[in-house]
Amino acid sequence: MNYTFLIYQNAAAFALRTDPDEKKRTAYRSVWPPYTQALRDAGVFVDGAGLEPPQTAVTLRNGTGQVQDGPFADTKEQLAGFYIIDVADLDAALEWAARIPAASGSVIEIRPNLVAPPAQSARPVSSEVAEARP
Amino acid sequence: MRFSILTYETPDNFAARSDSRREQLFGAVFRYIEELRQAGVFAGGAGLELPHTATTIRFRDGERLVQDGPYADSKEQLGGLFVIDVPDEASAVAWAKRCPREPGRVVELRAHLAPLNLA
Repeated sequence: MNYTFLIYQNAAAFALRTDPDEKKRTAYRSVWPPYTQALRDAGVFVDGAGLEPPQTAVTLRNGTGQVQDGPFADTKEQLAGFYIIDVADLDAALEWAARIPAASGSVIEIRPNLVAPPAQSARPVSSEVAEARP
Repeated sequence: MRFSILTYETPDNFAARSDSRREQLFGAVFRYIEELRQAGVFAGGAGLELPHTATTIRFRDGERLVQDGPYADSKEQLGGLFVIDVPDEASAVAWAKRCPREPGRVVELRAHLAPLNLA
Protein backbone atom coordinates (compact mmCIF):
# COMPACT_ATOMS: atom_id res chain seq x y z
CA MET A 1 0.00 0.00 0.00
CA ASN A 2 1.36 3.38 -0.96
CA TYR A 3 1.71 6.24 1.51
CA THR A 4 2.88 9.79 0.92
CA PHE A 5 5.07 11.60 3.44
CA LEU A 6 4.59 15.35 3.18
CA ILE A 7 7.53 17.12 4.78
CA TYR A 8 6.80 20.57 6.17
CA GLN A 9 9.65 22.78 7.34
CA ASN A 10 9.87 26.16 9.03
CA ALA A 11 11.73 29.18 7.66
CA ALA A 12 14.82 28.39 9.74
CA ALA A 13 15.16 24.95 8.13
CA PHE A 14 14.68 26.37 4.62
CA ALA A 15 17.33 28.98 5.42
CA LEU A 16 19.88 26.22 6.15
CA ARG A 17 19.84 25.31 2.46
CA THR A 18 21.59 28.59 1.66
CA ASP A 19 23.37 29.22 4.95
CA PRO A 20 26.69 31.09 4.43
CA ASP A 21 28.33 28.51 6.69
CA GLU A 22 29.21 25.58 4.45
CA LYS A 23 29.22 23.20 7.40
CA LYS A 24 25.61 24.04 8.16
CA ARG A 25 24.61 23.66 4.50
CA THR A 26 26.38 20.33 4.30
CA ALA A 27 24.90 19.14 7.59
CA TYR A 28 21.43 19.93 6.26
CA ARG A 29 21.96 18.30 2.87
CA SER A 30 23.93 15.25 3.84
CA VAL A 31 21.22 13.62 5.94
CA TRP A 32 18.78 13.02 3.08
CA PRO A 33 20.62 10.69 0.66
CA PRO A 34 21.21 8.02 3.36
CA TYR A 35 17.52 8.05 4.27
CA THR A 36 16.51 7.74 0.61
CA GLN A 37 19.01 4.92 0.22
CA ALA A 38 17.59 3.15 3.28
CA LEU A 39 14.13 3.28 1.69
CA ARG A 40 15.55 1.87 -1.53
CA ASP A 41 17.48 -0.86 0.25
CA ALA A 42 14.30 -1.90 2.04
CA GLY A 43 12.48 -2.03 -1.30
CA VAL A 44 9.82 0.45 -0.19
CA PHE A 45 10.86 3.53 -2.16
CA VAL A 46 8.41 4.60 -4.86
CA ASP A 47 9.15 8.26 -5.49
CA GLY A 48 10.31 11.41 -3.80
CA ALA A 49 11.45 14.95 -4.41
CA GLY A 50 12.73 17.99 -2.63
CA LEU A 51 10.93 21.16 -3.62
CA GLU A 52 12.40 24.56 -4.33
CA PRO A 53 11.55 27.02 -1.52
CA PRO A 54 7.98 28.30 -1.11
CA GLN A 55 8.73 31.76 -2.48
CA THR A 56 9.40 30.16 -5.87
CA ALA A 57 5.87 28.73 -6.03
CA VAL A 58 3.19 29.84 -8.46
CA THR A 59 -0.40 29.47 -7.30
CA LEU A 60 -3.41 29.27 -9.60
CA ARG A 61 -6.97 29.80 -8.47
CA ASN A 62 -8.39 27.02 -10.52
CA GLY A 63 -11.96 28.37 -10.58
CA THR A 64 -11.02 31.85 -11.84
CA GLY A 65 -7.71 31.26 -13.58
CA GLN A 66 -6.06 33.90 -11.38
CA VAL A 67 -2.28 33.37 -11.09
CA GLN A 68 -0.22 34.55 -8.11
CA ASP A 69 3.38 34.22 -7.03
CA GLY A 70 4.03 32.38 -3.78
CA PRO A 71 2.67 29.28 -2.13
CA PHE A 72 -1.00 28.64 -1.47
CA ALA A 73 -0.86 28.03 2.27
CA ASP A 74 0.10 30.81 4.68
CA THR A 75 1.13 28.32 7.37
CA LYS A 76 4.32 28.76 9.40
CA GLU A 77 5.76 25.55 8.00
CA GLN A 78 5.74 25.01 4.27
CA LEU A 79 5.98 21.91 2.10
CA ALA A 80 9.66 21.16 1.52
CA GLY A 81 9.45 17.77 -0.15
CA PHE A 82 7.75 14.42 -0.21
CA TYR A 83 8.34 10.71 -0.36
CA ILE A 84 5.99 8.04 -1.63
CA ILE A 85 6.63 4.61 -0.13
CA ASP A 86 5.04 1.18 -0.53
CA VAL A 87 4.65 -0.69 2.74
CA ALA A 88 2.29 -3.24 4.27
CA ASP A 89 0.34 -0.95 6.57
CA LEU A 90 0.15 2.36 8.43
CA ASP A 91 2.32 1.11 11.29
CA ALA A 92 5.15 0.39 8.87
CA ALA A 93 4.63 3.80 7.24
CA LEU A 94 4.80 5.54 10.62
CA GLU A 95 8.03 3.72 11.49
CA TRP A 96 9.64 4.98 8.29
CA ALA A 97 8.23 8.48 8.78
CA ALA A 98 9.69 8.70 12.29
CA ARG A 99 13.13 8.01 10.77
CA ILE A 100 12.96 10.98 8.42
CA PRO A 101 16.02 13.12 9.19
CA ALA A 102 14.01 16.32 9.54
CA ALA A 103 15.18 19.21 11.69
CA SER A 104 13.44 20.17 14.91
CA GLY A 105 10.31 22.15 14.10
CA SER A 106 9.51 20.03 11.06
CA VAL A 107 6.17 18.32 10.65
CA ILE A 108 5.57 15.17 8.61
CA GLU A 109 2.08 14.39 7.37
CA ILE A 110 1.49 10.77 6.38
CA ARG A 111 -1.40 10.14 4.02
CA PRO A 112 -2.51 6.88 2.37
CA ASN A 113 -2.58 7.14 -1.42
CA LEU A 114 -5.74 6.63 -3.40
CA VAL A 115 -5.90 3.42 -5.36
CA ALA A 116 -7.06 4.07 -8.89
CA PRO A 117 -9.93 1.81 -9.92
CA PRO A 118 -8.52 -0.19 -12.87
CA ALA A 119 -11.57 0.44 -15.03
CA GLN A 120 -11.16 4.20 -14.66
CA SER A 121 -7.42 4.39 -15.01
CA ALA A 122 -7.66 2.37 -18.21
CA ARG A 123 -10.38 4.55 -19.65
CA PRO A 124 -9.36 5.96 -23.01
CA VAL A 125 -9.15 9.68 -23.57
CA SER A 126 -12.45 10.96 -24.87
CA SER A 127 -12.59 12.41 -28.35
CA GLU A 128 -13.52 15.85 -27.00
CA VAL A 129 -10.31 15.99 -24.94
CA ALA A 130 -8.31 14.71 -27.90
CA GLU A 131 -9.70 17.48 -30.05
CA ALA A 132 -8.95 20.11 -27.41
CA ARG A 133 -5.30 19.13 -27.34
CA PRO A 134 -3.06 21.65 -29.11
CA MET B 1 12.98 20.05 -15.33
CA ARG B 2 10.62 18.54 -12.81
CA PHE B 3 7.70 20.25 -11.13
CA SER B 4 5.01 19.20 -8.69
CA ILE B 5 1.49 20.37 -9.40
CA LEU B 6 -0.10 20.34 -5.93
CA THR B 7 -3.89 20.41 -5.85
CA TYR B 8 -5.69 21.81 -2.81
CA GLU B 9 -9.36 20.91 -2.43
CA THR B 10 -12.33 22.23 -0.52
CA PRO B 11 -14.34 19.95 1.81
CA ASP B 12 -17.03 19.87 -0.89
CA ASN B 13 -14.56 18.63 -3.50
CA PHE B 14 -13.48 15.87 -1.13
CA ALA B 15 -17.15 15.01 -0.57
CA ALA B 16 -17.62 14.72 -4.34
CA ARG B 17 -15.31 11.70 -4.31
CA SER B 18 -18.02 9.60 -2.73
CA ASP B 19 -21.27 10.99 -4.12
CA SER B 20 -22.93 11.26 -7.52
CA ARG B 21 -20.17 13.57 -8.76
CA ARG B 22 -17.50 10.89 -8.26
CA GLU B 23 -17.32 9.67 -11.85
CA GLN B 24 -17.09 13.16 -13.29
CA LEU B 25 -14.47 14.20 -10.73
CA PHE B 26 -12.15 11.24 -11.27
CA GLY B 27 -12.90 11.06 -14.99
CA ALA B 28 -11.49 14.56 -15.44
CA VAL B 29 -8.37 13.63 -13.46
CA PHE B 30 -7.74 10.48 -15.48
CA ARG B 31 -8.20 12.37 -18.74
CA TYR B 32 -5.68 14.96 -17.52
CA ILE B 33 -3.17 12.23 -16.64
CA GLU B 34 -3.70 10.72 -20.08
CA GLU B 35 -3.03 14.10 -21.69
CA LEU B 36 0.17 14.44 -19.65
CA ARG B 37 1.22 10.92 -20.65
CA GLN B 38 0.54 11.47 -24.33
CA ALA B 39 2.53 14.71 -24.23
CA GLY B 40 5.40 12.75 -22.66
CA VAL B 41 5.57 14.97 -19.60
CA PHE B 42 3.94 12.75 -16.96
CA ALA B 43 6.51 11.74 -14.33
CA GLY B 44 4.43 10.43 -11.44
CA GLY B 45 2.35 11.63 -8.58
CA ALA B 46 -0.28 10.44 -6.16
CA GLY B 47 -3.87 11.00 -5.22
CA LEU B 48 -4.21 11.24 -1.46
CA GLU B 49 -6.90 9.76 0.74
CA LEU B 50 -9.13 12.17 2.64
CA PRO B 51 -7.43 14.60 5.07
CA HIS B 52 -8.97 12.93 8.13
CA THR B 53 -7.03 9.74 7.29
CA ALA B 54 -3.74 11.60 7.80
CA THR B 55 -1.33 11.07 10.65
CA THR B 56 1.03 13.87 11.61
CA ILE B 57 4.40 13.61 13.31
CA ARG B 58 5.83 16.76 14.85
CA PHE B 59 9.61 16.78 15.29
CA ARG B 60 10.70 18.84 18.26
CA ASP B 61 14.04 18.70 20.08
CA GLY B 62 14.55 15.02 19.38
CA GLU B 63 10.97 14.14 20.32
CA ARG B 64 8.39 12.85 17.88
CA LEU B 65 4.79 13.72 18.67
CA VAL B 66 2.28 11.63 16.71
CA GLN B 67 -1.24 12.97 16.16
CA ASP B 68 -4.22 12.02 14.02
CA GLY B 69 -5.23 14.42 11.28
CA PRO B 70 -3.51 16.58 8.68
CA TYR B 71 -0.84 19.17 9.36
CA ALA B 72 -2.69 22.29 8.25
CA ASP B 73 -5.96 23.38 9.83
CA SER B 74 -6.93 25.28 6.70
CA LYS B 75 -10.27 24.80 4.95
CA GLU B 76 -8.53 23.56 1.81
CA GLN B 77 -6.33 20.50 2.08
CA LEU B 78 -3.89 18.81 -0.24
CA GLY B 79 -5.77 16.34 -2.43
CA GLY B 80 -2.94 15.04 -4.52
CA LEU B 81 -0.02 15.92 -6.72
CA PHE B 82 1.09 15.43 -10.29
CA VAL B 83 4.80 15.34 -11.13
CA ILE B 84 5.68 16.61 -14.60
CA ASP B 85 8.93 16.84 -16.51
CA VAL B 86 8.98 19.83 -18.85
CA PRO B 87 11.63 22.07 -20.48
CA ASP B 88 10.89 25.22 -18.48
CA GLU B 89 8.63 26.99 -16.00
CA ALA B 90 6.40 28.47 -18.71
CA SER B 91 5.49 24.95 -19.87
CA ALA B 92 4.85 23.94 -16.29
CA VAL B 93 2.51 26.88 -15.75
CA ALA B 94 0.69 26.03 -18.99
CA TRP B 95 0.13 22.46 -17.79
CA ALA B 96 -0.90 23.62 -14.32
CA LYS B 97 -3.53 25.83 -15.94
CA ARG B 98 -4.96 22.77 -17.69
CA CYS B 99 -5.49 20.93 -14.41
CA PRO B 100 -9.20 20.01 -14.33
CA ARG B 101 -11.33 22.80 -12.91
CA GLU B 102 -13.38 22.29 -9.80
CA PRO B 103 -15.00 24.99 -7.68
CA GLY B 104 -12.53 26.21 -5.07
CA ARG B 105 -9.64 24.06 -6.25
CA VAL B 106 -6.26 25.78 -5.88
CA VAL B 107 -3.21 24.59 -7.79
CA GLU B 108 0.31 25.26 -6.53
CA LEU B 109 3.25 24.71 -8.83
CA ARG B 110 6.68 24.07 -7.35
CA ALA B 111 9.98 23.20 -9.05
CA HIS B 112 11.87 20.16 -7.78
CA LEU B 113 15.36 20.30 -6.43
CA ALA B 114 17.93 18.07 -8.10
CA PRO B 115 16.55 14.51 -8.13
CA LEU B 116 16.25 12.83 -4.73
CA ASN B 117 18.26 15.50 -3.04
CA LEU B 118 16.03 17.05 -0.42
CA ALA B 119 18.50 19.77 0.35
